[in-house]
Amino acid sequence: MAENTDKMVIDGVELVGIWKEFMPSRILYEDVTTEFLNEVKKLPGGETIAKCYQCGTCTGGCTLPEFVDKFNPRGFINLVRRGHYDLLVSDYKELVWKCVSCNRCTHRCPKGVNTQEVVRAIAKFLEDRKVFGKLTNDEAFDEVFMDEVINDGRIDEVKIVKDFYAKTGRLKEMMSGDQLSLGFKMFTSGRIKLFGGKIKDWKKVSQRLKEELQ
Amino acid sequence: MKTVLVIGGGVTGLKASYELAEMGYNVSLVEKEDYLGGQVAKHKYYKLAPDMRLAGEVIDPVIKSVENNSNIKVHKHSTITSLSGDAPEFKVKIKNSKGESEETFGAIVVATGFEHFDPTVKQEYGYSRFKDVVTNAEIEEMLNPNGPTKGELKRPSDGKTPKKVAIFQCVGSRDKQVGNPYCCRVGCVVSTKQAIEIKEKYPDTEVYVYYMDMRMFGRGWEELYGKAMEEYEVIFTRGRGAEVTLKNQQLSLRAEETIMDRPIQHSVDMIILAAGQAPGEGTIEAAKILGIKQNEYGYLAPKDDFLSPNESSRKGIFIAGADKGPLDIENCIVEGAAVAAKVASSLK
Ligand SMILES: Cc1cc2nc3c(=O)[nH]c(=O)nc-3n(C[C@H](O)[C@H](O)[C@H](O)COP(=O)(O)OP(=O)(O)OC[C@H]3O[C@@H](n4cnc5c(N)ncnc54)[C@H](O)[C@@H]3O)c2cc1C
Ligand code: SF4
Ligand code: SF4
Ligand code: SF4
Repeated sequence: MAENTDKMVIDGVELVGIWKEFMPSRILYEDVTTEFLNEVKKLPGGETIAKCYQCGTCTGGCTLPEFVDKFNPRGFINLVRRGHYDLLVSDYKELVWKCVSCNRCTHRCPKGVNTQEVVRAIAKFLEDRKVFGKLTNDEAFDEVFMDEVINDGRIDEVKIVKDFYAKTGRLKEMMSGDQLSLGFKMFTSGRIKLFGGKIKDWKKVSQRLKEELQ
Repeated sequence: MKTVLVIGGGVTGLKASYELAEMGYNVSLVEKEDYLGGQVAKHKYYKLAPDMRLAGEVIDPVIKSVENNSNIKVHKHSTITSLSGDAPEFKVKIKNSKGESEETFGAIVVATGFEHFDPTVKQEYGYSRFKDVVTNAEIEEMLNPNGPTKGELKRPSDGKTPKKVAIFQCVGSRDKQVGNPYCCRVGCVVSTKQAIEIKEKYPDTEVYVYYMDMRMFGRGWEELYGKAMEEYEVIFTRGRGAEVTLKNQQLSLRAEETIMDRPIQHSVDMIILAAGQAPGEGTIEAAKILGIKQNEYGYLAPKDDFLSPNESSRKGIFIAGADKGPLDIENCIVEGAAVAAKVASSLK
């Protein structure tokens, strides 16, 4: 049996260990594990993650990278698959949930990955691990959305965006040029309205709903 | 019974017919087109990978050896319409423009080949919407001095020589969206070859290949891939083409450069789709008439992939070449010879 050694001597010359001593190899990630892959796979929507062969069709055609720098569905899948959890949390946790569910990725994926759902599942996976602090963006949005429905019976797009940013303490970010110009574009193209109308006699329904939900 | 029917006059069928005739069998070769040579002739393939030999140098002698052989009767523009009887006495009706006749054969070889995948269904690539998105088969014809452009690479929209060309790999192959999860086995080497041919003729034209993996397993293929990068400066980007749009009358492609983690947008003058192989209508039709098994994709299924690769599910009917799945020319010739040996031993 050969013994475990860092040295290899051929014709009296040592060939391996000496390099290790003065030129250690640079290591980017210490651990590679399938632990997280298996976890995401078990979440609703995450079932198809292991089918991915990293071709990049999803990211290549994704709606978001133009607006959200570094948004990369293929990249998210890769990080989960290799178990680079720390990197996923430090660099991408705020990005993953921004997917707009346009499903271009899923419709084009040549491997049968339900990419949009997998991205959702990765966001859920991070949420479950409480990496976002107290209230996640997802949860904040859900709350604002439900409040609006219960109070007014319909959605006022401008109000909901404003409330959402307020709730997550990011009103400043909302007033940034990027977000404003995006909002303006959506307004001029008729995607959003400035004022949502009211529904007649909603007060009574609202009251009932609130009682029910108590 | 020393008569054999060979269906399909591509390289495989030609090689099988020739070897059988040399062994003393009487061969009837039935080909539905009015020329021999199969896809190689149909799309006027110009040069063959990896040696850049003229396709004619390979295919012409094979065609001649068949046409000049007194043991082979070539039926062009013909198809089979029915089969009755069993091995070793098959009765087959052969039909051409003049009418139908019945002949008896001891064995049947099916070498009906493949069709090029039609990329129209991959609507995001814009084939048949944008004139300058073309297939690799169309490029073969274009590069051939006897082809429609007399060997000049021309943009279909305005006839100009493109300055930037992109090639998309795996179009219609390795793609569950179109039901073809298998690899086309020749797309990589054919694109590399075409990139070199373009660079050789137009050194100022930039050629970019968008790929998932470059599968260079054949003889000399990997070396050709190296040559394309080192000597011809073809740029290979690891990322599958995602979509093609038209911006200010210029083609614009999107893909992810997966090594850099970056989606990119790239304006080019022409896009070549490396369309793969799909089972042809002719193969499916022959399988129905002969009552032999096809696999889940429509290709002909061997009795046993390892132990009897050239036998169909039915005794006395043999299969060979690209009708069993994507295959390159070199291996089609091997298949043609192998099936001839198998037929001979079965008719002994
Ligand atoms: C774009 C492209 C470029 C390529 N370039 C190369 C290359 O450089 N090097 C290489 O090694 N390989 C290359 N190939 C692969 C090559 O084309 C195939 O290996 C080869 O043509 C297969 O030969 P075959 O005889 O099996 O089939 P085919 O060439 O398809 O021939 C089958 C013949 O059968 C006939 N037929 C079909 N059905 C019937 C029927 N029912 N009755 C009668 N006749 C019928 C057809 O008309 C055809 O003539 C390329 C492929 C593609 C897609
Ligand atoms: S398109 Fe599908 S297979 Fe390709 S990287 Fe995205 S999820 Fe993976
Ligand atoms: S569904 Fe999400 S990940 Fe997929 S293309 Fe749309 S924005 Fe990108
Ligand atoms: S041979 Fe190349 S182009 Fe064809 S399917 Fe395989 S990997 Fe894709």
